[in-house]
Amino acid sequence: MKRQHCAAVEFRKERHLKIYLVPLAFLILLFFWCAFSFRNADAYDLAQGYTYLLFQIPMLNCILMPVMLAVIASRLCDMEIKGGTLKLLYTVQSKHGFYDWKYLHSFFYLLLFSIGEGLAIPFCGKIFGFTEALPAALLLRHVGILLLVGAVVLTVQHFLSLMSANQIIPLLVGLMGSFLGLFSMYFPPAAARLVLWGYFGAFLPFGMDWDKDTRILSFYQVPFPTTIFVLFLVFGILLYLFCRAVFLKKEV
Amino acid sequence: MLHLCIKAENTKLRRSVIWIACFLIPIIPAIMGTFNYLQNLGILTGEWYSLWTQFTLFYAIFFYSPLIALYCSYLWRLEHLDHNWNVLMTMPVRVSNVLFGKLFIVCKVTLITQAWMVLLFVLCGKLSGLPGLPPAMIYFWALRGTVAAVAIGALQLLLSMCLRSFALPIGIALGGSIGGLLINNMGCGLFFPYSLMLMGMNSNSYDDKLAGDTWKFLLAVLVYFLLFIAISLRILKKKDVRA
Repeated sequence: MKRQHCAAVEFRKERHLKIYLVPLAFLILLFFWCAFSFRNADAYDLAQGYTYLLFQIPMLNCILMPVMLAVIASRLCDMEIKGGTLKLLYTVQSKHGFYDWKYLHSFFYLLLFSIGEGLAIPFCGKIFGFTEALPAALLLRHVGILLLVGAVVLTVQHFLSLMSANQIIPLLVGLMGSFLGLFSMYFPPAAARLVLWGYFGAFLPFGMDWDKDTRILSFYQVPFPTTIFVLFLVFGILLYLFCRAVFLKKEV
Repeated sequence: MLHLCIKAENTKLRRSVIWIACFLIPIIPAIMGTFNYLQNLGILTGEWYSLWTQFTLFYAIFFYSPLIALYCSYLWRLEHLDHNWNVLMTMPVRVSNVLFGKLFIVCKVTLITQAWMVLLFVLCGKLSGLPGLPPAMIYFWALRGTVAAVAIGALQLLLSMCLRSFALPIGIALGGSIGGLLINNMGCGLFFPYSLMLMGMNSNSYDDKLAGDTWKFLLAVLVYFLLFIAISLRILKKKDVRA
C-alpha cells in the first residue's frame, strides 16, 4: 500500500469516532485551570504570568497527558482488536507499515494538542492581560518538550493497546503513569528521572522560590538539562524500536 | 433475579485484570504519600491526620473517579463485545436487575479498594512510627468517600453503557475530577458529582470540611444516584440494541 493511502486509510477508519474531541476537551480543561489560577491575579502575578504558566502547565500535563494518550491510542487501536481485523490488514499492508502508520495517526492528535497548548498560553496572556513579554523561545521549547515526552509515552500506550486483547491494561498503565508522574515531581531529581511519565515536568524552564514569611512566589531560570534531553531522546528511539520489534513477532 | 445477575457479574470478574487495578493503584499513594510525609515531618505535624492528607491528596482528587470509571468500563465492555447486547437484552430478567447487578459489583470492588487503602494507611502509619491507631474520624472520611462512589458508579455505568469505547469514560472521569477540584474550590462542590469524592474523603485538610453538613453531602449523593440510575433505566428500556 502506498504511503498516502496508508494515511488516508487510518483517517477513514476513525471517521465517526470524533477522536479530535479528546484533545479538544483536555485543552478546554487546561484553559479553565489557567482561568481559575488567574481569577484573582494582582499586578505582581500578571507581571510573571507567562513564567507562572510555563511552570504550572507541565505539572498539569503530568496528570492529563498519560491518560489522554492512553485514551487516544486505545480508541485507535481497539477498533482493530475488537474487530479482529489484523489478519485481514496484513494481506494488504506490511506489519511494520501498519504499526508505524497507526502510531503516526495517534501522534497527529498529540501534535494537535501540543500546538493547541502552545496557542492557549499566549491566548491566556491576552485574556488576563499579562504585562510580561511573551517568552517565545521558551514557549517553543515547551511545545517541543511536550511533543517529545508525549511521543515516548505514546510509544508505550500504542504498544500496549495493540498487544492487549483487553484495553484495561493500557488504561491502567496510563492511570498509574499519571499518578507516578505527579508524585515524581515531589521526589529528589535523581529518583524522579526513573519515572517515564514524570518527564513532562523534567525540563521546566523555571524553578520556584516561596518565601514563607512574605508568602511571595518568585521564579528563577534553570539551565536546560542537555544531557538528560539527549539521553531521553535516545531512550525514546530505542523504546520505539524495541516495542515495534516485539509487536512484529506477535502471532495474529 | 437480582441475586442471579450479581452472581453472573461476579463470575465475569473471576481472574479478571480488574483486581490488579484494585490492589495496585492504592499502593502508589501509599508509598509516595508516606515518603512525602516522612520528608516533610517539620511541616506536617498532625500525625495520622497529616499522613491522611498525603495519602488522599492526589488519590481522591484525581484518581479515585477514573479508577471507578475503569471498573465500570470493564463491566460494560463485555456487553459491547461481539453480540452480547442481544444476549443481555433477551435474558429473562428485568433490565433494572442487570443494571443494579453491575452497580452492586462496582460498589463491592470500590469497597474492597477503599478497605485496602485504609489497611495500607494503617500499615504505613505504623511503619512511620505513628502512635496508636488512626482516629475514628479518618475511618468515617474513608467511608464517606466510599458512599460518594455510589453516585459516581451510577454515572460511570451510564457513560460506559452509552459510549461503546472502553477508554472514553475514563478520560471523562479524569476531566470530571479536575473540573470537580475547580468547582469545589469555588464552594459549589455539592452541585457537581465529581467533587463528591474529595469532599467525602476530606483530602488535604485536618478539619472536617463537611462538619455539620454531612447530611447535605449524603442528600447530594442520593440525588445524583437516583438521577443517573433513572436515566440509565430509561435508556435501557426505551432504546433499541445496537449490537
